[in-house]
Amino acid sequence: MSPWAAALLGLGAVACWLALYLSLSRISGWLTYSVLGLAEGKHVSSAVEFLVFEVPKVLLLLTAVVFAVGIVRSYFTPERTRRILAGTRESVGTVLAALLGVVTPFCSCSAVPLFLGFVTAGVPLGVTFSFLISAPMVNEVALVLLFGLFGWKVAAIYMGTGLVIAMASGWTIGRLGMEDQLEPWVRKVRAGDGEEPIVAIGWRDRIGFGLEALREIVGKVWPYVVAGIAVGAAIHGWVPTNFMAKFMGKDVWWGVPLVVLIGIPMYSNAAGIIPVVQALLGKGAALGTVLAFMMSVISISTPEIIILRKVLRPKLIAVFVGVVTVGILLVGFLFNALL
Amino acid sequence: MENAPHRKIEVLGPGCARCKETYRVVQHVVEKEQLPFDVEKVESIERMVELGLMATPGVVIDGKIVVYGRIPKADEIRAILAKA
Repeated sequence: MSPWAAALLGLGAVACWLALYLSLSRISGWLTYSVLGLAEGKHVSSAVEFLVFEVPKVLLLLTAVVFAVGIVRSYFTPERTRRILAGTRESVGTVLAALLGVVTPFCSCSAVPLFLGFVTAGVPLGVTFSFLISAPMVNEVALVLLFGLFGWKVAAIYMGTGLVIAMASGWTIGRLGMEDQLEPWVRKVRAGDGEEPIVAIGWRDRIGFGLEALREIVGKVWPYVVAGIAVGAAIHGWVPTNFMAKFMGKDVWWGVPLVVLIGIPMYSNAAGIIPVVQALLGKGAALGTVLAFMMSVISISTPEIIILRKVLRPKLIAVFVGVVTVGILLVGFLFNALL
Repeated sequence: MENAPHRKIEVLGPGCARCKETYRVVQHVVEKEQLPFDVEKVESIERMVELGLMATPGVVIDGKIVVYGRIPKADEIRAILAKA
């Protein structure tokens, strides 16, 4: 394909995307009331309209962002991130690590090799944790869903507080001087040189990476999105509006610790949890409580802790979980108090 | 070809879905093309560190990382093995 044809194709795709996105609310109303012939004002109609509007909307947003992030990530390999982090002062490194956590490709099953790759190359422990906390928590799928369902303010709050928790936790762990809490075999290993494979990457490859990310991520998470939104739709239509206020309202002080306690051991990707979150918010749960729940579910999970146990001693794991939990609790209380 | 010593391909990963898929792709290519390679799934973290692998899954031929951090396509593996 010539560059011109490729550019034209790209523009066409963007135009189609925009046209679809902008006409979604009309299409969903038409589908619900004209095609399916549901009566306005009924529970079932409001649930169906919600479903046929939200599912394509979220999937469209997801497609655009995952593709874009796939391209951005082709510029940030773990080796490059490590090199940047190994060469900076700890204070700067902690901040930088949280930011790089957002754009460096990361999968929770790579957490341990990556952790070791960083630590054995001389990246300080606190800086490594800052990265390790931010990478799963500030995640593009979470941001898209938050933006799509609640608007840019909630998405920005989430990203901002997620980064702050990562930096603060990393900094705290760094101050505690816990290098002796790595498993003994870890301290003995010499870093592999981890040379970056020298491959010339052109635009074509980067777009290929974007498409690959699209297939891999959207192809995997769409059932969760649909299932989550369906749960949301059910709650939307049938559960009374203030039902959740009793358990997760602003004035229920124990709401935040309770949801964090439930959320920490749970494992779910952002796509699975956010539509449920939306349903909770819609039914009177407070934003701080809901954000705390979501952060605790996607940042730390039992499987991740089990894997990390291979390289960290229990004390360091406890500190890691403790510091992150405190950060999430503070975010929850703060937002409940402010909003 | 039959009697030539087999070389080793290691597919490294802690056992996540992406790693299993990668193993399947590599295994499939080797079997289908009847290439003289033994494919082995390695879950040892020590080995990953030793090789300097920071993103899984990783495909390693004779101790050299050829693909990492993503699931390779069958054609890609075929091309790599043809050159290896």
